[in-house]
Amino acid sequence: MTPNETPPACPAQEQQAECLVPPASADPAASAPKTTRRDFLKAGGTLSLSSLMGAGALMAQSDDAHAAAEWAEHFQKNYRLMTDAEKAEARVRLERRYSQEYGKPVTVDTTGPQPGVLMGYALNIRKCIGCRRCVHACVEENNQSRGKRPGEKIEWIQVLRMERGKFEQGKMDHGYPEGLGIQVGGNAYTPAGQVLEGQYHYNPEKVPEQDATYMPIACMQCEKPPCVKVCPVRTTYREADGPVVIDYNWCIGCRMCMGACPYWARRINLTNPVLPKEEMNPVTHYLGNRPRMRGVVEKCHWCLQRTRHDRYPACVEVCPVGARKFGNLLDPESEVSKILERKNVFRLKAELNTFPKFFYFYD
Amino acid sequence: MQQLISFTSDYTRYVLKGGTKFYAWMGSLAVLIVGMMYVFYLQNTDGLIVTGMTSQIHDGLYFANLVFLVGVAAGAVTIVFPAYAYHHEGMHKVAVLGEMLAISAVIMVTMFVFAHMGRPDRLWHMLPIIGIYNFPHSMLGWDVLVLTGYLILNAICGFYYLWVKYTGGEINRKWFMPLVWVAIVWALSIHTVTAFLISTMPARPMWFHSMMPIRFIATAFAAGPCLIILAFLIIRNNTKFWVDDSAIRLLTTIVTWCLGIALFLTMSEIVVEFYARTEHANGLYYLMFGLHGLTNLVPWFWGAVILMIASFVLFLMPSIRNNFKLLPIPCVMAFAGIWIEKGMGLIVPGFIPTPIGEVTEYYPTFVEWLLTLGIWAFGFFILTILLKGAIGILQGEIKYGAAK
Amino acid sequence: MKKIAIYTVILALCGGTLYAVSAADKAVEPAPAAAPKEPVVCFESRKGASDINQQEIKPGLPNVKCSPTTGAALWYGDPYHGTVPMGKMPQMDIPEGKAVVVPRSEKLALMPMCGTACHNGVGPQFNPPTLPKSRKPAPVPTMEAMVPDLKDLQHGRGRIWCMDCHHTTQRNKLVDHYGDPVSFDQPQLLCGKCHGDKLRDWRDGIHGKRIGEFTSTGKKRWFTCTECHNPHNVQDGARNRGFVQLQPEPSPQLPKGMKDAKHELLHPIAH
Repeated sequence: MTPNETPPACPAQEQQAECLVPPASADPAASAPKTTRRDFLKAGGTLSLSSLMGAGALMAQSDDAHAAAEWAEHFQKNYRLMTDAEKAEARVRLERRYSQEYGKPVTVDTTGPQPGVLMGYALNIRKCIGCRRCVHACVEENNQSRGKRPGEKIEWIQVLRMERGKFEQGKMDHGYPEGLGIQVGGNAYTPAGQVLEGQYHYNPEKVPEQDATYMPIACMQCEKPPCVKVCPVRTTYREADGPVVIDYNWCIGCRMCMGACPYWARRINLTNPVLPKEEMNPVTHYLGNRPRMRGVVEKCHWCLQRTRHDRYPACVEVCPVGARKFGNLLDPESEVSKILERKNVFRLKAELNTFPKFFYFYD
Repeated sequence: MQQLISFTSDYTRYVLKGGTKFYAWMGSLAVLIVGMMYVFYLQNTDGLIVTGMTSQIHDGLYFANLVFLVGVAAGAVTIVFPAYAYHHEGMHKVAVLGEMLAISAVIMVTMFVFAHMGRPDRLWHMLPIIGIYNFPHSMLGWDVLVLTGYLILNAICGFYYLWVKYTGGEINRKWFMPLVWVAIVWALSIHTVTAFLISTMPARPMWFHSMMPIRFIATAFAAGPCLIILAFLIIRNNTKFWVDDSAIRLLTTIVTWCLGIALFLTMSEIVVEFYARTEHANGLYYLMFGLHGLTNLVPWFWGAVILMIASFVLFLMPSIRNNFKLLPIPCVMAFAGIWIEKGMGLIVPGFIPTPIGEVTEYYPTFVEWLLTLGIWAFGFFILTILLKGAIGILQGEIKYGAAK
Repeated sequence: MKKIAIYTVILALCGGTLYAVSAADKAVEPAPAAAPKEPVVCFESRKGASDINQQEIKPGLPNVKCSPTTGAALWYGDPYHGTVPMGKMPQMDIPEGKAVVVPRSEKLALMPMCGTACHNGVGPQFNPPTLPKSRKPAPVPTMEAMVPDLKDLQHGRGRIWCMDCHHTTQRNKLVDHYGDPVSFDQPQLLCGKCHGDKLRDWRDGIHGKRIGEFTSTGKKRWFTCTECHNPHNVQDGARNRGFVQLQPEPSPQLPKGMKDAKHELLHPIAH
């Protein structure tokens, strides 16, 4: 999909009916949700808030889209519970605000999960050369903060350099305890094959290095995500097509999800994100790469703004060695399905029963 | 209604009056509170970047103090339980003071929650009905539930008791006693749930074991009564209110044994983790000896161990534990030791290394220290007021109709 | 005295003019450099062999974004920029236009000359083909400059030589199983002769790289073998993967308080 074909944005002037409106439910199978008593109660609870939202809407008429949008955002509901009309309203508000802030037309997509799609990812760990191009492609695409102060620069992908290590004759007579017959050999301490023990800040002239292997790590989009379970406000959840997403406007910044994630995939915006106007990617998704705010958690979402429109994630496209593979797990013809069928795969920390949809494989 | 208005005005008037010492104490606390408010403002305009927290180590001093203070709040049960379950005379007299301590500790916890949040302005998202309350899945949801409940229970029990004393009526035991019992069990629950909060994360092997709740409770029942003993000794020396020796003796016994159990559990953990020395022991190894040459917390840990063992030994010596002039020394030592061990010593190494093996260190900033100190000051401010009011009522200095 | 003065004035004037001229030159010089913006060139997988020029395809939207550190392509504004249909491939049943490639031939600067200047197919040694029996290429300096380890080609470890891949009479073509010419844009037809397992994985998208739409029916730009691999250089010094070594992108920011990452190099000794 070229940028020319991006879904129509929802400019304020246009009729909302013409805009792309996603299905109300995250699950396409249940696109017509029934009104339950609980929903009714919820509606009653938000009644007082809606009057405040009205005040926000009045302010939205003014020129200062930023202040008005921020004001209205304080009172908006969790994205999952919004009606189509509310989603469209939130979208218009955000598009107007971002366009003004970044000085170019910004679209905020709200396309929902497509039926019959379950996204999956595979990474050929034998191929990775540790060049970190995926890391920086992700930043180009996903509007992360890129300031200079420590904590202002956010990257979602980490590339771990692991030493090959070696077993050698010279270490044979070292170990523990010494002198009484070695019970724990010196060679035991070689990092050969030690997963997750290595360097993240490696910076050689050229990669790949002879004595190293590389392992990129990002969000695994678990089928049973521990981060979703611990979230006290259900702002992070698994979408029907697989990715675990965050409603940045609902996040309270408690960081429980960051503690619960066994893959260290989540980052906190310690301050107002630093995102230069010219570097901002104007094609955004509500649950994806739209600009975030201070104090909220963010993470990889498999480039929802792209993948919801069938485009490969940014990291897949720039990998110079083609180690990164992405596709629909429900489609037997997709590259990921073929990999699961043909190659040896493993899931990182499979013992935790998180069931990642991110697979590492070997040729 | 008439009684309620006069209770409020009498209470307020009483607690606002005091000598130079009282004003000096409250004034210095107020200075810290003002400082706290300023850095809290900074933190909520510039963001958490003014703290030493990072994406790697994203819980720091605030969370550590939160965990510790939940323990202090739970520790109040060491007064209430003997008072009502064993009808301990000396304790019964001061039970309400324990409840006041619990109230101020929970208020401090709430403030640390606010300090910890990235978006405190959005905390309403957690409220049921207007927000989404992820119950029963979220441990934090449970924690908020039990802490709020504990605050309400203690406020009701404490102030109802004071109210009855004030009006000179009789306690309605029909509902008061069940409430007291609920509060006692509830006290255990707050600390258990706080332990579950971090011990239910397999991503953090340092916390991921079932010993956490009992260790939390053991340290809580050591640190909480230490603070209470100190408060009682200050009250005995500075007010007309006399706390019985028997109450302090019982608290000392509780502290001693809970401290002993805490030390035993720490030792068990060290043996279990280090005998096999799996990679899951990395956090503890960092705490005790440092990892990859990074050793920021090592002196803190060994300081805490020395403080705890030394205070345990001192508590065991009758010449010290029965000498109320010397008793504050081991109390302060144990309190400080547990504060380090359970706060910084437990929370920070949980993040070192990260689940994918990155080793970094935590450097708390001035803002964090000042905010922490300010919240403690605020807690002591509230505690002073609550204790002063309670003592005034218990002494009969505030009494319905007395002012007229 | 007057004369001297006049000479001096003339001299001064001359000098002044000279200076003015040179100054004007200096002033003019940087101007044309600033006016047409230096074209930004990124490389995809192979530095120097897979370059793309950055262009604006829509206001504010480049076809590709390049890394300021390494010059690597970091982000595709249009994954199909500069592509042509891949053409029919055996065993690949992809509707016309759904599989596209960036033509390699355009990037090979010497290609148009190969078939005309030297190997025009009419030399006595080519018609009929009389190739050396030793299967060792003659050391022609032009060729050695292009392929450094020509005399000891590591691809195939001495078991293959130039004419196993390049067409004997049409040097701007590769060669397939039957000796028929293959376009430089479709090297997979050649490489698959030996690397059948890789070809099969490539066809299914497991090996190599495709960008564009991820669905199995979507339009994709396929990367062909030589866009990532240099067949003349398969064993490159310290390299231990199937690619030439590259400069990595910058490492992540150090978290607050950390001065360096030297501690990462230390291994914890654990008993």
